[in-house]
Amino acid sequence: MTVLVGYVPSPEGEAALRAGVDEARTRGETLLVMNASRGDAYVDRGFAQQKDLDQVRRDLTELGVDFDIRQVVGGRDAAEEIVELAGSSEVSLVVIGLRHRSAVGKLLLGSSAQRILLDSPCPVLAVKADY
Amino acid sequence: MSLDVDERTDSGSRRPSGADRAQYGVCAFLALLGVLVIVDATGIAHTTSSTDPIGPRTVPVLLGVLLLVIAVVYIVDVARGGRAEPEAGEDVDLTNPIDWRTVLLLIGAFVVNAVLIEPLGWVISGALLFWGTAFALGNRHYLRNLAIAVALSLITFYAFAIGLGVNLPAGVLQGIL
Amino acid sequence: MDNLNHLLEGFAHVVTPMNLLLALIGVTIGTAVGVLPGIGPAMTVALLLPVTYGMEPTQAFIMFAGIFYGGMYGGSTTSILLNTPGESSSVVTAIEGNKMAKAGRAAQALATAAIGSFVAGTIGTLLLVLVAPLVVDFAVGLGAPDYFAIMLLSFIAVTAVLGSSRIRGFASLLVGLVIGIVGIDSVSGQQRLTFGVPQLADGIDVVVVAVGIFAVGEALWVAAHLRRKPAGVIPVGVPWMGREDWKRSWKPWLRGTAFGFPFGAMPAGGAEIPTFLSYATEKKLTKHPEQFGKGAIEGVAGPEAANNASAAGTLVPMLAIGLPTNATAAVMLAAFQSYGIQPGPLLFERESGLVWALIASLFIGNLLLLLLNLPLAPAWARLLRIPRPYLYAGIVFFASMGAYAVNAQPLDLFLLLTLGLIGFGMRRFGLPVLPLIVGVILGPRAELQGRRSLQLSGGELSGLLGGPVSYVIYAVIVLVLAWPLVRRYIVRPLVEQRA
Repeated sequence: MTVLVGYVPSPEGEAALRAGVDEARTRGETLLVMNASRGDAYVDRGFAQQKDLDQVRRDLTELGVDFDIRQVVGGRDAAEEIVELAGSSEVSLVVIGLRHRSAVGKLLLGSSAQRILLDSPCPVLAVKADY
Repeated sequence: MSLDVDERTDSGSRRPSGADRAQYGVCAFLALLGVLVIVDATGIAHTTSSTDPIGPRTVPVLLGVLLLVIAVVYIVDVARGGRAEPEAGEDVDLTNPIDWRTVLLLIGAFVVNAVLIEPLGWVISGALLFWGTAFALGNRHYLRNLAIAVALSLITFYAFAIGLGVNLPAGVLQGIL
Repeated sequence: MDNLNHLLEGFAHVVTPMNLLLALIGVTIGTAVGVLPGIGPAMTVALLLPVTYGMEPTQAFIMFAGIFYGGMYGGSTTSILLNTPGESSSVVTAIEGNKMAKAGRAAQALATAAIGSFVAGTIGTLLLVLVAPLVVDFAVGLGAPDYFAIMLLSFIAVTAVLGSSRIRGFASLLVGLVIGIVGIDSVSGQQRLTFGVPQLADGIDVVVVAVGIFAVGEALWVAAHLRRKPAGVIPVGVPWMGREDWKRSWKPWLRGTAFGFPFGAMPAGGAEIPTFLSYATEKKLTKHPEQFGKGAIEGVAGPEAANNASAAGTLVPMLAIGLPTNATAAVMLAAFQSYGIQPGPLLFERESGLVWALIASLFIGNLLLLLLNLPLAPAWARLLRIPRPYLYAGIVFFASMGAYAVNAQPLDLFLLLTLGLIGFGMRRFGLPVLPLIVGVILGPRAELQGRRSLQLSGGELSGLLGGPVSYVIYAVIVLVLAWPLVRRYIVRPLVEQRA
């Protein structure tokens, strides 16, 4: 079994990663770090650049966790990719980061976190940036 | 994965070395256009006068002949290995073959607008156009797109048709807008 | 001094709150649309044409001046931040600009581009004020045969000099010329290629052709090969430059301007050659050769100035002779024609107020651009987060709106689609689009001038040879056409002999 972390290069994403590491350790499971983008805009701040992923890889190696990193650019929203992966029998827990959004912001763009919370077939742990 | 400069430059070398036979279609198009222009020109009354010694026929006939000539030269060029260089661009990924489904969906959205613009009016047909194009290009946020589409067509209608006096039909919403 | 007075009058005309507001709107939307990758200055101007339909010509052109320079500047922002030059003239800016941005000097790269564009644009527009009346004086004395020769040169130049394949260039030109003859022949009143469709009697509107080939063609082509991968953008701060940057930038700005303007003013000169020349020169003259290829500020300052100066240069033949030398100028010319105004030597006499108001608003637009772009660069960069489907849906939406609004007939939308499909095919098979647009715009005028020339000679072909001017032009045409042969049999053996 594995703990799935929805990673984005931001304080929320780093917090989710920290929480994921803790969970994987207490549960004695492996860690799966996932970053996804629709890939249809020139700039996607949720898309982890190579140097972000390298940093994650270094940090996790240092911490001695058994991990895997996966990046998907598949034309689907990050939330859909994570929910689908969470449905596989391998995943025991999904960890995501939360941030505050204004009402208008949510109306316009929807919330990936909300969709993961509602649609994920397995338990979801949501943490804030200051975790 | 590399996010570096090479993304654009590697597209040139990716084309298979075999001849691009579809280019003969371009030659055929040019030749057909040439014939069409010449046939149309022969149907024009040949009126020359002292103020216009060469008349309205000469230029089309000349263009038609030149089109036939360039079609032949083009065929020779293709046969000798002349290659078509598809246009590169920042949103264009030439490593994939042409995605006809997307192209046809986009054309469909376009035709829907052209057919419906007068009966239904710009606000409805334009919204359908935006929504349809976004759908064709793979965006699946149906409701959000509908909201954006309606907002765009309403804003453009009020700003251009009512504000600036540009010609846009109100259609069935005449009197409501 | 006469011109100076005209120019001052032009300023007096423009500096009203309403007109300044229009200039500001023009600059803002021009930059916003220009920043969006995939939309070059020519498409920006074509798409924004309908915005000006309801206005007085003077007001429309005040706005246009803003859109013109705004679109030019927006493109360089994208090439620096994303390394995706929208067109060949920004390729050089992207080389050093993107390297600078990656090294954390995006703010300085944007600043030197913005200030360099301002310097080059201002000097270029000043040169336009000085040079255009001289060209007009020269052009007034030209007869129909000379004009015919000039247009012929323009056709040959856009097909033979630009682009990689002459055959494909000529094919594109011929298709454009055929589109140009659709409608009622202005001399004899006969219908040509109308197939009995009454709406075609007035011909196919140049705006519909430009929007169809540039915007719809591009959208279809992108749809066929949609890229699904985000590029990493570089975080942008507010642009600024230190003392050292100023010291290293000002000379390249001036040298770039000197390269850009004359090339822009020549038929088929374009912006590519001067930007490359400027880059090569700066690389040779720099005191920091080790930085070239790694983000040298001179390599952004020079080419960017050359690019803008060349844009100002293209306005000389466009206004004074009615000759478009690049795609943006071609669309601008179409805009003039949609107001029933024919650029050329007589324009400065008949529409003197309009011309000088346009030139004055070029100065003002340039200044507004500087004031707007320095603080707003981070905001422009946020536009890059718009998903591509929305971007192209927007392009198709505004293209359809603009094409319909020209004549308020649905037939134009079908014409637009047909032209879009032609544009799609041209992109697929590597046919350049500029010769087609130039053919559509200049074709009918070339025919008219040619027929006028022959009228004077009673149908003898010798009528096409007017005077010394046309002799010189025909000589240039022969030289341009024969250049590959000259190079193969004369230049190359010489070079090989030396080597």
